Amino acid sequence: MSGQFVAFFILSLLTIGGAVFMISLQKVVHQVVALAFSFLSIAGLYVMLEAEFVAVTQVLVYAGSISILMLFGIMLTRHDAHEDTGRGKFKFLAFIVVAAFFVLVFMGIQTMNIEGTPANFSQQNNVLEIGKLMFSQYVIPFEIMSVLLLVALVGAIILAKREADDK
Amino acid sequence: MADLYSNNYLIVAIFFILGLALPIGALTAGRFLRPNNPIAEKRTTYESGMEPIGGSWVQFNVKYYIYALLFVVFDVETIFLYPWAVAYDQLGLFALVEMLIFVTLLVIGLIYAWKKKVLEWD
Repeated sequence: MSGQFVAFFILSLLTIGGAVFMISLQKVVHQVVALAFSFLSIAGLYVMLEAEFVAVTQVLVYAGSISILMLFGIMLTRHDAHEDTGRGKFKFLAFIVVAAFFVLVFMGIQTMNIEGTPANFSQQNNVLEIGKLMFSQYVIPFEIMSVLLLVALVGAIILAKREADDK
Repeated sequence: MADLYSNNYLIVAIFFILGLALPIGALTAGRFLRPNNPIAEKRTTYESGMEPIGGSWVQFNVKYYIYALLFVVFDVETIFLYPWAVAYDQLGLFALVEMLIFVTLLVIGLIYAWKKKVLEWD
């Protein structure tokens, strides 16, 4: 049993545990914390896949700002009403559907074969290669990205401003 | 190479475990050392101060959502600064100009938000 296997086991356990807690917890803020935990563990899984850039993106954007965005969304809405309707009615049916889905996915993974040889990326600095490509070959998409971010920012300001003025 | 790679992250894991263990250990030690005398008054928001009215979970103004959105936009900008900073030595002046254009476009967005009085807290 290698260290990689142990790390993968712990990280996937944390990921699934966070997701399960996110569904089963009652308070919305606790759910967001559980979700952030899940996001962080997924970042650890990305590190194990030697995709540092994706891992940093996961930590900064998902664990950082998406969680903050959700917390703000919770603060801005009324959430003290937690309803408890229809639970347990279709429990058996839901279990059968989930079990069937699990069997299907498991069979699919078992019989799947991926064509071609895996890319040889362990020998080099991934982030450096991404940076080199992004600022030479993909300059135009990169600059268009900034325009997209600007448009999103201005659009959000206009929408939120109008909402605030209406009140 | 792969072994060396994961060994680097062993240090990260050790720091993570230390960061988790320190507050847990300190709080557990404090729990055994401190006297325990809980009364209802100690549980109020401002002990021996103002009497709090109502719950703390109130609905906030929609305006504050813009702060979160601004944070997300500049967070995404940070993501792009990371490979740029790593590859900067091998890219030269052209990359600097590109990044300046990128940052300038986002600063225009910030100035727009400023002019629209989004950043004012009233």
